[in-house]
Amino acid sequence: MASLRLLLAKPWIWSFIGALLVWLATIAFTGGYGGGGMITAALSLAVFTVIVGVGQMFVITLGPGNVDLSLPANIGLASAVAMKVMDGNDAMIAVGLLAAVACGMAVGAANYLLIWALRIPPIIATLSASFIIQSIDISYGRGLQIKPPPGFASFTNWQILGIPILAILTVLFTIGAAIALQRMIYGRSVLAIGQNIRAAWFAGINVGRIRFLTYTLSGALGGLDGALLAGYFRGANVDIGNEYLLASIAVVVIGGTSVAGGKANVPGVWGAALFLVLLLTMLNTFGVSAGVRLLLTGLIIVGVITAAGGQKALR
Amino acid sequence: MKKMLILGAFAAMLASGTALADTSDKKIAFSNNYAGNSWRQAMLDSYAIVTKKAVADGVVAAADIFTTADKEVPTQAAQVQNLILQGYDAIVINAASPDALNGAVKQACDAGIVVVSFDGIVTEPCAYRVVVDFKDMGKQEVEQMAKFQPKGGNLLEIRGLAGTSIDDAIHAGILEGVAAHPEFKIVGSVTGDWDQTTAQKAVATILPSLPEIVGVVDQGGDGYGAAQAFAAAGKPRPTIIMGNRQDELQWWKEQKDKDGYQTWSASIAPGVSSLAFWVAQQVLDGRTDIPHDLLVPYLAFTQDDFEAALPKIPKGGVASHEYTQEDAIAAIKANIK
Repeated sequence: MASLRLLLAKPWIWSFIGALLVWLATIAFTGGYGGGGMITAALSLAVFTVIVGVGQMFVITLGPGNVDLSLPANIGLASAVAMKVMDGNDAMIAVGLLAAVACGMAVGAANYLLIWALRIPPIIATLSASFIIQSIDISYGRGLQIKPPPGFASFTNWQILGIPILAILTVLFTIGAAIALQRMIYGRSVLAIGQNIRAAWFAGINVGRIRFLTYTLSGALGGLDGALLAGYFRGANVDIGNEYLLASIAVVVIGGTSVAGGKANVPGVWGAALFLVLLLTMLNTFGVSAGVRLLLTGLIIVGVITAAGGQKALR
Repeated sequence: MKKMLILGAFAAMLASGTALADTSDKKIAFSNNYAGNSWRQAMLDSYAIVTKKAVADGVVAAADIFTTADKEVPTQAAQVQNLILQGYDAIVINAASPDALNGAVKQACDAGIVVVSFDGIVTEPCAYRVVVDFKDMGKQEVEQMAKFQPKGGNLLEIRGLAGTSIDDAIHAGILEGVAAHPEFKIVGSVTGDWDQTTAQKAVATILPSLPEIVGVVDQGGDGYGAAQAFAAAGKPRPTIIMGNRQDELQWWKEQKDKDGYQTWSASIAPGVSSLAFWVAQQVLDGRTDIPHDLLVPYLAFTQDDFEAALPKIPKGGVASHEYTQEDAIAAIKANIK
């Protein structure tokens, strides 16, 4: 009982409860049919939101005003870079992935440069950077879909007993991110800056360097995500990252990370990403119209955040 | 008497419908609001090919292309106002909104400028609208499906961008088709936004809960994504109606080479921009009998001719068709009843 209460006190548990409830509602509707397939589909799709969600989580944790709005454009450009470098050739997969990550890192570094050198608020800096990136992408990719090499495409679909390999790798990655956040100097510094940037500075934390690293990390994860998305969805395109603007912020918030910064948790990102995909599954399965679907998505997200937030107020 | 003769000649000239009146000193501008996908790129390419030739041949004096970014209404409205000031005789427009640009379009009309909208049409009555017969396309999808799946069965429908007239028209056509073919039943419907990624995701989420699907009726741009979702879920491959994209036709060809897979493909040709150009030219030419709402055919490929078209489509692009002046005259004629 005590352990259950301890579990319920965790801010991330609510996103998992939400995901479970939505899944149960869906299989109740289908009479138990297709439950396993839904989990497989949810894991395959949630991976992409988790990867950028973790990057966004680190940025948001830096404190009020910190957010990376350049992720969608970054993902789009990196997807094109990865596919062009790979050029349909299996031997170039690793090079293509590295190129995508490097491209993302460059975007992240450029973001911080705008914030630091020109003293522009991050929300404006990353948004204006995204316009520039998107323009580069349009002239670089010419709006065409470039196909991934067959080996890379099938890698993104590999499954062991219905569990996608990509999801397993992403779980390992998130465990690493959780350790970095809670146990390493870098992560503790991010949390400290988010709680009070002046205090962190007085405590001897190199604030500029940590912020630079965090924006670069977010950019790198966006780049990696772009390459993986292009593999899974069989082609790069400018709009491939569009939905991750809101989704990356939504999973951070639903997952129980504080929007005000200074308080973060990694498991919640997984719970929230699964919750969002299963929510789409549920509404698609119920067969509601597009308008009702958007309405319900909004209401349910508000509901989950209120449930999670209400619990926090009691403590 | 002489006056009568001239009038008679003038009437004959109008009736013949060719470019007898001179448009060689007329300038036509193209106002576009987005260039970020393969369809828009092909639209701009087709337009550039046709208009470059028209300018070189002296049919019109200038045909300039102006593209703003991000489908923003205020930006495009400001652009239209600039085009008015720059003294163009006609504006061909792919509008960011059906009604929000009406004010700017009305200003253009009042300044004596001919406005021809296509794809993203404007509702302002003074403008011309070149509209593809999407309802018939939706109906035809089910007709074709009945040929490939004579026994009927369950269909999955992929809808386009919610709230657009195009989505409504194709959907209405599909429903009409299903009503005429009761052997088919739509058991699921998802929103694919004419986008491969969105469609693949939506289909992946609904597939586990669906019974066996014999066919997918969609709106173009979503067929390849649907095929990937079926493959990823390990479900049998249904008959998927395609939408003229290169990857869709390429996939179709691979399946056909493997086991004789059959389907059908249709979509609005991006080159409809060139048709809109010719309509503008015809109006400038002095024709007064052109209806303001022009219904034009969609571009379709069948089992017999899609392979011939495939090499001509740029990799990752979409099949287009450049319309000629004769095509435009024929399309106008078909709309005069």
